[in-house]
Amino acid sequence: MKRSTIRTVVALAVAMVLLLVWAFPIIWGLITSFKTERDVLAYPPTVVFHPTLSNYWDVLFGATSILPNFTSSIILAGATTVLTMLLAVPAAYALARLALPAKRATGFYVLITQMLPPVGLVIPYYLVFSRIGWLDTYRGLVLIYLTFSLPFAIWLMVSYFEDIPHEMEEAALLDRAGRWRALWHVILPQARGGIAVTLIFVFLNAWNEFLFAVVLGGNTVRPVTVAMFNYISVEQTLWGKLAAAAMIAMLPVILLGLVAQKHIVKGLTVGAVKGGGRR
Amino acid sequence: MSAAGRMSLRNVVKRYGTFTALRGITLDIEPGEFFALLGPSGSGKTTTLRILAGLETVDEGTVMLDDADVTHSEPGERDVAMVFQSYALYPHMTVYDNIAFPLKMVGMKKAEIGAAVRAAAAKVHIDHLLDRRPGQLSGGQQQRCALARAIVRQPRLFLLDEPLSNLDAKLRLETRVELKKLQRSLGVTTAYVTHDQEEAMTIADRLAVFMDGNIVQVGTPETVFARPNSIEVATFLGNPPMNLLPGVLCGRALRVGQHAVALAHDYGSTERPVMLGVRPGAFRIDGAGIPAQVDLTEQLGDSVIADLRVADTLIRVRLPERTRLAEGTQVRVTFDAEDAHLFDPETHARL
Amino acid sequence: MMAQAQVSLAGRERRFALTLFLPAFVVLLITTTFPIVYLIWNSFFRLNLSMPWRSGFAGFGNYVRMAGDARFWHSLELTAIYTVCTVTLQVLLGLGLALLVTRIRKGQALLRVVSILPIVLAPVVVGLFWRTLVLSPDFGVADFATAALGFGHPNWLGDPGLALIAVIAIHTWQWTPFVFMVLLASLASLPPDVYEAARIDRANAWQRFWHITLPLIRPAIVIVVILRMTIALSAFAALFAATGGGPGTATEILNLYAYRMSFNELSLGYGSALAVVLLVITLIVSFLMFSLRRQR
Repeated sequence: MKRSTIRTVVALAVAMVLLLVWAFPIIWGLITSFKTERDVLAYPPTVVFHPTLSNYWDVLFGATSILPNFTSSIILAGATTVLTMLLAVPAAYALARLALPAKRATGFYVLITQMLPPVGLVIPYYLVFSRIGWLDTYRGLVLIYLTFSLPFAIWLMVSYFEDIPHEMEEAALLDRAGRWRALWHVILPQARGGIAVTLIFVFLNAWNEFLFAVVLGGNTVRPVTVAMFNYISVEQTLWGKLAAAAMIAMLPVILLGLVAQKHIVKGLTVGAVKGGGRR
Repeated sequence: MSAAGRMSLRNVVKRYGTFTALRGITLDIEPGEFFALLGPSGSGKTTTLRILAGLETVDEGTVMLDDADVTHSEPGERDVAMVFQSYALYPHMTVYDNIAFPLKMVGMKKAEIGAAVRAAAAKVHIDHLLDRRPGQLSGGQQQRCALARAIVRQPRLFLLDEPLSNLDAKLRLETRVELKKLQRSLGVTTAYVTHDQEEAMTIADRLAVFMDGNIVQVGTPETVFARPNSIEVATFLGNPPMNLLPGVLCGRALRVGQHAVALAHDYGSTERPVMLGVRPGAFRIDGAGIPAQVDLTEQLGDSVIADLRVADTLIRVRLPERTRLAEGTQVRVTFDAEDAHLFDPETHARL
Repeated sequence: MMAQAQVSLAGRERRFALTLFLPAFVVLLITTTFPIVYLIWNSFFRLNLSMPWRSGFAGFGNYVRMAGDARFWHSLELTAIYTVCTVTLQVLLGLGLALLVTRIRKGQALLRVVSILPIVLAPVVVGLFWRTLVLSPDFGVADFATAALGFGHPNWLGDPGLALIAVIAIHTWQWTPFVFMVLLASLASLPPDVYEAARIDRANAWQRFWHITLPLIRPAIVIVVILRMTIALSAFAALFAATGGGPGTATEILNLYAYRMSFNELSLGYGSALAVVLLVITLIVSFLMFSLRRQR
């Protein structure tokens, strides 16, 4: 059938073009990070040039090193993820599988808390934190980070828990496991995949957060997302260094994204197609 | 809608990569006939049906519908209706909309659609379910809905792909009869795929037996059953299947072990080995027959199936209902000459 | 005896459930609900950190001021344009791409990688990238492209209209792959035999799309729209990095206006009121969208 081969060719061509559109800024950023400032400013933009590692050197070991910020990000995102998972996984299990009193209302409540605009939260937090001296502290920031990671993690884990067949708890209880052991030995291992995906997403969102960090952080708590602005000032933009800093800042999430591709895609679709549905 | 509805396939070959699903199929389906495509899984019968529908392309050969070459026509252009094994009902539409869909697609007026849909639904007795969704119907009701969707457009050809396989045993038997009556009343040419030989035997006017991508025999159920042209066809039809015993043929005499049977036909004076086929129901217990030992008997109520051992071969024999045989008993069985099917042991073809 | 046993069994399950749920619930209450109440409380005050002597109870004063604030109405208009444009573009592009790609078997792995990267990047980094590498006058790639095509050197970040287009493009660029992947999965889950039945029922490609594909993926599309809308309403980092709300107030959606009012001009009472309005709008839009879901 000639009709279908023409269609496939057109489809492929369009897909190629669009692929380029999405890959391009990232590839361009990568290339720029290896250019000297002079090469960056060359016009028309050059693709062939003499690559240099000086940008990376400066960004990592120079005066405006981004390494302390990298550490800050790790602490912040790590603490948020651990705390979130510890709270969210049991809560999601109770919501999904157990006879929680006022289940519909609480489920609804969790859903609502996901919809609060961050700017509406950062203002009262700023006022309270400045009074109790919690500005620029990790505990303060982790607390506000929980506002977006906790409801999200609960919502995602609920849909994963709902996928496990109901006979599991029943079989474990009949085997005299008791509810705690049933959860630990039977249910959680089955939800491993879901836990991994949720963990990835929570970490990703915490790593990439900007508004809360820029308003409530300071010199101690200054993750990479805020540190990016070190390389831009009113007078000039340090292009190459900015690109290199961005590459380093985004390295963990890019690696996570590439390594856990299938998990992430599954998580997106599960969360979108199933979660928020049965309330 | 006055076209006859004759389907012809000429030397159709279909390949999937290196696998050849159909090796040159030639078939004629007469107008108004109920034609069964019978064979084991993977024999090519479903592929043939899908080629008739236009859902698969052919690599070689032609497909003709009433003297028009439709080999390269789209399914929608062929005036063919199909009932899928999974029914393929549109899950988001009501039963009414499902049945109305093919009419809507060709721009029929709403009022006419209404009348046609109700008539089709009434024919298969689901006119009280028109507002339901497929998800709210039982398996049998879904199947009728799929049927109604097919008959509403009064096509030239009906294609049915194992439509009864998803129903439970009792429903299958009832629906089989209803399908036959429906087809008779509509008079539409029908091609019907099944792997169940009993189903094909009871429902079809003619059938084609598929094996390994070839049609090995075509004919009415009676002729194919009475004169299978190969060992494969012979053992595929009939339940329990035909028994096979090695023997020697010379002239008019057939020798099985020590026992000899006189045949009506003279097969020539050279002695040759043959494979003898005898159906379970053709055997009877006779003092002067082939010696056999009873292994097992199954009481079926209206008959008895006895597993007998003849030398090294196991045969299954259908005996009258009150027959009592203890295990280990030595008996003798015989059969009539006209019930003997002779096959060449090398080519498996009928002699 | 039996009834007693059953009651205590159900009671035990309830207690177990509460033990598991309460910690998260309490944390949620403390971190979200109390702050929001405090936000609403503050919106009834004049709170100026740069001029503390002017602070005090204002009643509905902030809201009255808002009603007459042209900058507020402008930000509302921008929010509407931004949200509608980005979500519509994302859905159209994402759906179009997904429909195109379902035909192609090979290369789906490559597409997956390319689709994942924009999504995992921090929006602030995406905004900075676009601001510097793509849209920069004289050095950016977009500038190069438009010059080569004969469209000259548009001032993407300096011209109010172009800046709005630019930020819409940035947001769409980052999040279309999300819509693409969700819809691709949804399309892949559709039963193929229903399409064969439709082909036999004489439906052409467009009819198959309209009568079968679209209704069957409608639930996925609605969820995607809900998700993307709530994100668009509170989009901050990419906008902040790319234009900061400028030039002037050309890209100042309500979100950014509340931020600037609170942390640039330090007028936190009015900022709170603006944030409250954004909250109400978000909730209303969400409820509307959810009720749309229940319609079929």
